[in-house]
Amino acid sequence: MVAVNETSRTGRYDVRGLAEPDAEAPKTARIDGDSAVVDAADLSTRQINLELRRLVYGEGISEVTVTNPGAKHSIAVGLLTRCRITVDGSLGYFACTLGDGPEIHVTGRVGWSLAENMMSGVVVVDKNAGSLTGAAMRGGDLVVRGHVGARTGIDQKGGTILVGGNTGSMTGFMMQRGRQIICGNAGPGLGDSMYDGEIYVAGTVASLGVDCVEEEMTPRDDELLDRKFRIYRMDRPERFRKFVCGKQLYNYDTLEPSERKLVL
Amino acid sequence: MADETAPSENTVLGRSQIFTPEVVNDIHMKAELGRYRMRGGGIFKKIPHWDELVFLPGTLTRFVIEGYREKCETKTVLGGRFAKKPLELDIPVYITGMSFGALSLEAKMALAKGASMAGTATCSGEGGMIPPERDLSTKWYYQVIQSRYGFNPHHLMLADAVEFFIGQGCKVGMGGHLMGQKVTEQVAEMRSLPAGIDQRSPARHPDWLGPDDLSLKIQEVREATDYQVPIQLKLGAARVYDDVRMAAKCGPDVIYLDGAEGGTGAGPHIGTEETGIPLMAAIPEARRALEDVGLADEIDLVVAGGIRNGADIAKCIALGAKAVAIGSAALMALGSNKDVAGADYEGTFGVPASDFYHWHTGKDPAGITTQDPELRKRLNVDEAAVRVYNFLHTLTLEVQMLARACGKTDVHSLEPEDLNALTTEAAAMARVPLAGTKYIPGVTEEKTLTEIRDLLAKHIANDTGGNRDV
Repeated sequence: MVAVNETSRTGRYDVRGLAEPDAEAPKTARIDGDSAVVDAADLSTRQINLELRRLVYGEGISEVTVTNPGAKHSIAVGLLTRCRITVDGSLGYFACTLGDGPEIHVTGRVGWSLAENMMSGVVVVDKNAGSLTGAAMRGGDLVVRGHVGARTGIDQKGGTILVGGNTGSMTGFMMQRGRQIICGNAGPGLGDSMYDGEIYVAGTVASLGVDCVEEEMTPRDDELLDRKFRIYRMDRPERFRKFVCGKQLYNYDTLEPSERKLVL
Repeated sequence: MADETAPSENTVLGRSQIFTPEVVNDIHMKAELGRYRMRGGGIFKKIPHWDELVFLPGTLTRFVIEGYREKCETKTVLGGRFAKKPLELDIPVYITGMSFGALSLEAKMALAKGASMAGTATCSGEGGMIPPERDLSTKWYYQVIQSRYGFNPHHLMLADAVEFFIGQGCKVGMGGHLMGQKVTEQVAEMRSLPAGIDQRSPARHPDWLGPDDLSLKIQEVREATDYQVPIQLKLGAARVYDDVRMAAKCGPDVIYLDGAEGGTGAGPHIGTEETGIPLMAAIPEARRALEDVGLADEIDLVVAGGIRNGADIAKCIALGAKAVAIGSAALMALGSNKDVAGADYEGTFGVPASDFYHWHTGKDPAGITTQDPELRKRLNVDEAAVRVYNFLHTLTLEVQMLARACGKTDVHSLEPEDLNALTTEAAAMARVPLAGTKYIPGVTEEKTLTEIRDLLAKHIANDTGGNRDV
């Protein structure tokens, strides 16, 4: 955490020690041409983000590597420009969120709510991610080569989530648009209450959620899967099943009396 | 032998106070529909309310401030805790979040324009930012709501303050509702939804569950907005003391409490009637919580729910609110629930204009809670904006009038000592004395018990074996 300076009032520091209103960019990055390396070992969340912003917006540097990220939370959030960021290590909660444009590669693991509300760009995580991965995501590609936790792509509104391993329960819960490609197994309640979008699963599905149904794969689906696996140089499992919204819950009053128990 | 069931007034034993005509009709309707009933507006049943409090203005114990001649400050600053740019309002009242979708484009624009004229803020509400509203608002809250419909980090950067919607007083614990007839192509596209569906928004946020991860979510949004703007947490008033303690520890700049009196564009009737506690009971609990965690001077309290006039606002401020937000009253200022040319409330909805609660139907004759292009034409943005401004200005004059009468040169100097209660219920909830007494239910008893306990302790300490009394 940032040291309390003399001008600060004690009230400027919150109970959990997360607020850093007075931090400044440390300007410690090693810059080499249009790339830079930030050693985050001794930096706080705010300092890392301020340094990233200084480099990307201020110095016009397009490639930044962050070393020793220490699984800190809220790193590389709200970047609204094209840039390439490599995080050499693991990140905590809310990693790479609220972005529009950046291509981010995390070589380790990440916590909950990875790439939440991403608008566009690419986030690739080499190992596992926690729950709520790609929550409310609106665009771009989110690739997790390992496993992910529960409620992957909850409220997803666009873009593609590609998972190399398994996903937990309630994957695609209330999903609105976009696609999810799960190479491993999906936990119980897949696609529960989804409005639209497609979920492709190569492994087993523990159970389907309310109003989620299986649909025939089309050549267009296969073309999409081939393309995504080619881009991220991943092995494509041969057979996928496709799950979509059953659209029974769109308008409650159109349900037959016997169908109304669906919502209990 | 008398016939006790003969068709005569003299044979009728009475009418059920439980199965009233409304209840019987409701049961018949549910038996047809097979679902709970939806409606707009706020609570119908009678609850302890602001009418049960009165002010104790200055007489001889304190002198009063001259109306019109002596200054009574109304400026209200929110979120100075961590934000580099706290929200500065000219008046202690602003327009709460109501979605584009629930309201027409014209209604959103008129609210924005009227609020700007009054020097105060508006809020995006659920459906995302609409550029005309942002353009017309000089101070604008952007909502981080459970559904994240239309949420865009570029729009987040345009905000003067960010509100995390966690719950609303009208239907605490529930997500938003927008019935299919109002989910037009445009509204649906902004929310990334299929058009015409009954939209039931999530009740829980997609990316955090409890206070520990909410702290991190706040950190995330602060990182994204560079600590420029205040972060406000909006809570429906339920377990207020515990909720506010937890909210305060999550590190916000402002906490917004919404009382059970609050309205909605559409919600389940049972949810509206049966959830949450009155604002009058919530504010003292929130103050107690903030004081107990030592943040009473750091975190600002905004309140809302069923606010009708400047007296309600002055009472909220006296109990400890920094600012008050209005929703239903702002719609009425626009012209909702008003007989306008071409409207037939009785014929269409079976109620007079003033009882119109059918905001969820999208058939609002005044063109406010609708997406119908023909009905929308009935709301003239510029004229409606002036009405909103006039109303906000009047509210402020009323608050000032009461504050001056109580001897205050700043409306924020109103305090609980300026109030008395007319009923024991109101005295207990608001924790102000029952008029003509010093009695505050609960508080008085607690004080007496403490005195007895202290006396007993002293008695035991002094007990030398019966030789002398205390």
